[in-house]
Amino acid sequence: MSKTFLNAIYVFAALLILAAFAFKVFQPIQVLPRMRIAPAYQFTDQDGQPLTSETLRGQFALYSFTYTQCPAPCYNMAETMQEIQSRLGEVDLGGIPVTFITISLDPDRDTTEVLKAYGESIGADFNHWKFVTTTNKDLLKTIVGAGFETYYENIGDGSIRFDPGYVLVDGWGVIRAEYRYATEVSDADRILRHLGVLADEVKNSKGSTKLAYEAAHLFLCYAP
Amino acid sequence: MRIKVFLSVFAAIAGLAAGMYFLRPHTFHGTVIQSPERSFDFTLTGAQGDVSPSDFRGKIVLLYFGYTFCPDICPGTLGNVAQALRDMGEKADEVQLIMVSLDPERDTPEKLAEYMQRFHPSFIGVTGSQEQLDEAASLYGIYYQKTEGSSATGYLIDHTATLLVLDREGFLKLVFPFGVTADEIADDLKYILRQ
Repeated sequence: MSKTFLNAIYVFAALLILAAFAFKVFQPIQVLPRMRIAPAYQFTDQDGQPLTSETLRGQFALYSFTYTQCPAPCYNMAETMQEIQSRLGEVDLGGIPVTFITISLDPDRDTTEVLKAYGESIGADFNHWKFVTTTNKDLLKTIVGAGFETYYENIGDGSIRFDPGYVLVDGWGVIRAEYRYATEVSDADRILRHLGVLADEVKNSKGSTKLAYEAAHLFLCYAP
Repeated sequence: MRIKVFLSVFAAIAGLAAGMYFLRPHTFHGTVIQSPERSFDFTLTGAQGDVSPSDFRGKIVLLYFGYTFCPDICPGTLGNVAQALRDMGEKADEVQLIMVSLDPERDTPEKLAEYMQRFHPSFIGVTGSQEQLDEAASLYGIYYQKTEGSSATGYLIDHTATLLVLDREGFLKLVFPFGVTADEIADDLKYILRQ
């Protein structure tokens, strides 16, 4: 084997490594991780209508968890959700709908009427924001506890201890982000930015650019 | 001299492009999941006794949720998996398909075994109580609901028709959409087995 040929191979290998390194460092494409499958369900919404996980295929879904009689100082997820609802126009979603789903952890007291009154009291647009629960408590525990990995426990005095948070699910039913703790930027800013990242992936991840997006997943180029 | 430099740069760029093409990562036909946790491990009943995905660690486990009265979707997917396994030759021994029945009223373990054998001798069918099936289906993202059928078929069950792939360690690796072909299944499974 000639020396020139060997040198060419070394240069080629070095360039390949450099290209991969540059991709990882400069992250020209950022994605959200495909964390796990979101649980499937059939809930009843604030109008008494069924809402299933299949209904939301092809849309982005942002889940939050609470119960309407949560006593002060209850974590106020409504404020963040309201902010996202009002600022959604700032994000280029490429026409992909976003649905907010607030799951009540208290099916005994949070009837459809109570959920509707609660939604109205916080200015929810029911076309895009659903308040849901199911009377099948075992299945609710499976869906919320095991599926969304959100801890909650009835502590006996009518109150429920739970970990507040949000879960973002893509149109394929895959969990793409979880927001469990306060971050340096507000949750609303971060969630809105992530919705844009997801929409970019759907829009651009076709043909040859799909390969670049898969490389971004492979190199863990995750949006902060 | 200038020509030599030009040719060297051209050769390097062409080599890089060719290298990136041939060494490009495998493009999966399903959606890749990067879960850091093992997937839910149920225990349901087959004709030979209890079956869990974890019984097959070291093999790829394909999970499908369906039922034996399923008119077209389930036979289509099971037929494609069977064809993929036949195309894979000896490598197929490292793959185990489990179908979880969503129809506990009509699908007994024996009936499931007889149904699965029609597709491939290695296929296993399992069932359980409504609560067990609700839990397993939900945690694998499978929505299902009984619907009215004709007098010939009896009731039908609408269900999510994805095919799930658990790797040798029990991590959910891939979700195939409905309509995936035998060639596409075989291509991805062969790649996962090489890893």
